[in-house]
Amino acid sequence: MEFENIYKTYWDRIFRLCMGFVNDYDAAQDLAQETFIIVWQKLDTFRNESGIGTWIFRIASNNCLRQIEKEKRFSKSELPIHLSEEKQPSLEPQIQFLYKCIAELPETERIIISLELEDVKQAEIAKIVGLSEANIRVKIHRIKEKLTQKFKENGK
Amino acid sequence: MENNIDFKNLWKQQSVSPPNMEELLSKVKHFKSVSMRKLVITNVLLIATSFFIGFIWYRYQPELISTKIGIVLIIFAMVLYLFVYNKLITFYKTIDDNQSNSEYLQKLISIKAKQHYLQSSVLSLYFILLGSGLSLYMYEYASRMTILWAIVAYAVTLGWIGFTWFYLRPKEIKKEQNRINTLIAKFEAVNNQLNADEE
Repeated sequence: MEFENIYKTYWDRIFRLCMGFVNDYDAAQDLAQETFIIVWQKLDTFRNESGIGTWIFRIASNNCLRQIEKEKRFSKSELPIHLSEEKQPSLEPQIQFLYKCIAELPETERIIISLELEDVKQAEIAKIVGLSEANIRVKIHRIKEKLTQKFKENGK
Repeated sequence: MENNIDFKNLWKQQSVSPPNMEELLSKVKHFKSVSMRKLVITNVLLIATSFFIGFIWYRYQPELISTKIGIVLIIFAMVLYLFVYNKLITFYKTIDDNQSNSEYLQKLISIKAKQHYLQSSVLSLYFILLGSGLSLYMYEYASRMTILWAIVAYAVTLGWIGFTWFYLRPKEIKKEQNRINTLIAKFEAVNNQLNADEE
């Protein structure tokens, strides 16, 4: 597969993964771009053993973990103050709230739930993260419970 | 617990900045040149200094063996510094981005541990070599000065070496170690998230 194709196909998914990790639009963009720089550099080493998706998600999630080193903590963007009272039909606040909740999870859970929400198969998630599939299933279940709980507390 | 919130739907509606191929390519170039430049500058600078010192040896033909030993020690200090500096960079080059997250985290932890060791032990060795090399090197020239000037010259040099050894070196080591220890602790904590319900 050609780089430009890969880039266009995966950009949105990688961006969202990074966004779930940092919940900061600019930082997510930087992380996503770094990911594709690595993909660009390593594309010729890619062997078809794993799907290209698994390959890219591994690079992206490792890059997210790597940035722990560079950060003095990205300031997580706070929710707008008026948000809790807002009763607009728009989904926007809910989307923001979801990303905020995810970015507050422990790092590895952020990656797991982001991949799950990206419709990556659980067997693939297991390969990306390095845990057993059963373990991933349990974790996803727990994370979803946590998120549901947070949404309920917030009255969504 | 019932789960009636459609997280997937929410997740996918996040607005996404459009991909921008040109910007990405310009970043690739920039990224390469910045990391290369620092490496090249450090290497060139220290190698040039070593050559310069070698040139002094050749041009002025020191008579005493102490001067020659001094020069060798100084050059050795710089070679050591370069070796470690380049070594640290290759640590990161060897990391495989396509490992699973848990393998990747372990690799990061081991790199940090190596870095920790190299930085603290090598920095001390570097100072010892440089300090003793300089003192030996000076002896020949100081012995030709009047006693007073020789004392002044040694006092200034040893004063400077003492300052770096007792003040700068521990400060630098401490700062680096704090930073690396914090990182190791952080990576281990993240890695433990994966092991937590493994059993």
